[in-house]
Amino acid sequence: MFLEVKNLCVDLGQFHLTGVNLNLEKNDYMVIIGPTGSGKSVLLETIAGFFQPQTGKIFLEGEDITNLNPEKRGISIVYQDYVLFPNMNVFENIAYGLEKKVKDREVIKSRVYDMADRLKIEHLLDRNPETLSGGEKQRTAIARSLIVEPNILLMDEPFSALDVNTHAYLTELIKKAISDYQTTCIHVSHNFNDVWSLAEQVAVMKNGKILQQGIVADVFSKPCHNFVADFVGVHNIFEGEVVGKSKGITDVKVNQNLILHSSDTDTNDDKKVMVAVRPENIIFSNQSFVSSIRNQLKGIVTDIILIGPTVWVEVDVNGTTFKGIITPSSLDILGIKKEKEIYLSFKSVNVKIIDEEQSYSALFSA
Amino acid sequence: MRSKLEISFISISFIFTSILFLIIGSLFVIPSFEGFVNAFFSDEIQFALRLTLSTSIIAAFGVMIVAIPTAYSLARYNFPFKSAVKSIIDLPMAFPEIVLGIAILMLFGNPLIGSILHSLGINIVFTTTGIIIAQFFVAFPYSVRILYSTFNYVNPRYEFVSRSLGYGELETLKNITLPLAKGGIFASSVVTIARCIGTFGAVLLVGGGTYLKTETLPIAIYYNLSLGSIDNAITAAIILVLISFIAIFVLEKYAYQNIEGAG
Ligand SMILES: Nc1ncnc2c1ncn2[C@@H]1O[C@H](COP(=O)(O)OP(=O)(O)OP(=O)(O)O)[C@@H](O)[C@H]1O
Ligand SMILES: [Mg+2]
Repeated sequence: MFLEVKNLCVDLGQFHLTGVNLNLEKNDYMVIIGPTGSGKSVLLETIAGFFQPQTGKIFLEGEDITNLNPEKRGISIVYQDYVLFPNMNVFENIAYGLEKKVKDREVIKSRVYDMADRLKIEHLLDRNPETLSGGEKQRTAIARSLIVEPNILLMDEPFSALDVNTHAYLTELIKKAISDYQTTCIHVSHNFNDVWSLAEQVAVMKNGKILQQGIVADVFSKPCHNFVADFVGVHNIFEGEVVGKSKGITDVKVNQNLILHSSDTDTNDDKKVMVAVRPENIIFSNQSFVSSIRNQLKGIVTDIILIGPTVWVEVDVNGTTFKGIITPSSLDILGIKKEKEIYLSFKSVNVKIIDEEQSYSALFSA
Repeated sequence: MRSKLEISFISISFIFTSILFLIIGSLFVIPSFEGFVNAFFSDEIQFALRLTLSTSIIAAFGVMIVAIPTAYSLARYNFPFKSAVKSIIDLPMAFPEIVLGIAILMLFGNPLIGSILHSLGINIVFTTTGIIIAQFFVAFPYSVRILYSTFNYVNPRYEFVSRSLGYGELETLKNITLPLAKGGIFASSVVTIARCIGTFGAVLLVGGGTYLKTETLPIAIYYNLSLGSIDNAITAAIILVLISFIAIFVLEKYAYQNIEGAG
């Protein structure tokens, strides 16, 4: 393991990081998402060494760095507001960290030019940072941190001050630079596009805790908390009650609908649980059909929403709204319209059960 | 259309600054030019001017050396009794400097402490060293005040970034914090020197105000006025006013235009 954060607890008086665990392999790109105030910045600053944890350890390449000074860690940080040194021009800002390691002026110069060229800021090198646009400041800040070839590059919402188009363009540019420099990255973001376009790993944070960490596809398809599911965009989350169990299948009643969930859970009968189905796992059909798919429900289409290249279909099933996601051509073929009767099918393996106690504690505990 | 409140407030500010200006200006009207030149080049005023400037520069230098780390730690670190330290530093600003003077006198005039210092070759009571010490403690709180708000304005993230790029605490202080705080450091130095130069009560008590030995400009005003040498008194006052003007001019010109690293 390249970076290992183990059971980290940080006490800031009113705010605590509690039992934070993170694992990162070399050259991984991790995006941490979570609501405002959840402690993402505090976590980054603790990894960088600016907050001392009360308990817990941080290991970098197996070495315990928990009590190492920030300057000895080789972990550099990019802030949301970029904090470019106002007493230096763009060149000097980028060169700053390099000057500590490299004494040869020519080497410094060529490396700064190379970095500036990659990030398309070479024409700005003798500008004063105050005169730069948001995107230019951001690239200068990233250049300044990346040029020292850090063990880990921490970025705290580096894109949040940029408009959508700039965001997309800079994402590509920065992704390329970071992968060329073979840098391990932790990136804090509010934006799911960052997760899709940049991350291999994602961690979801709330109230000073990491609720779930893992490969992006895993976390998005198997959220293990109600909050994670909600936050990462699982739209079909329902409260239900366990009504039976047999042969590895749990039966959950949601309103009057029976939803079947496969794989063993330690839930008991009568227990309240949350069940979740991802919209892309719902299959629409005009007729009922017999297959290995265990869940089939009949409902009425209540809404059809075009979102980008996809169509979201909302279906009311006995008072419960399910959302499914299909392509426009499927919409045409099936002739889906508002008020139309339709069948929904989804496999029982695609039904996720979220234990209510754990999800509620995740939602409300500090 | 200006409101009544606006008009009355502006009038008040005009009236009272005019009176203040009149008061200061009246100094320059009173002596004849000849009287001024004679007084200026008299032994007493020349001595007092040199003594005031030299002690003030030394004291201000000492203040800055101590006030920078003090203000920095108040702005950045948490430590036990931090609020007590803050109040103790602020205290001398609230009570008359002459009280500070008598306190210094009591402490160093104390037979035990006095004799220990004496055996070390340090004499404080009625000496130039005493003047410097009195000026130091009078000016110190003002200096810490300004520097404290300056360091508070320097976003600690600048320091974090510098450290994350491989620079230690001291290098970061030298490369980032002090350059970003230079406006405030400069302002604080000017205010400190001005405060040292103007110190009267504490310097009189601790230094003794001996003619041609420990007589500073403010003391010269007081002595000469009580002896009836109006020209000397006014001249000393004019010198002090001119020094203040220079200080304020320099302050306006350089200090406030570049307080960097705010926010
Ligand atoms: N130095 C500090 N001392 C005390 N509390 C702090 C300190 N820094 C941050 N906090 C508190 O810790 C909590 C988490 O802050 P943090 O900045 O990590 O949130 P965040 O997840 O980054 O939020 P955002 O998305 O808004 O940036 C906040 O309640 C904040 O007030
Ligand atoms: Mg933050």
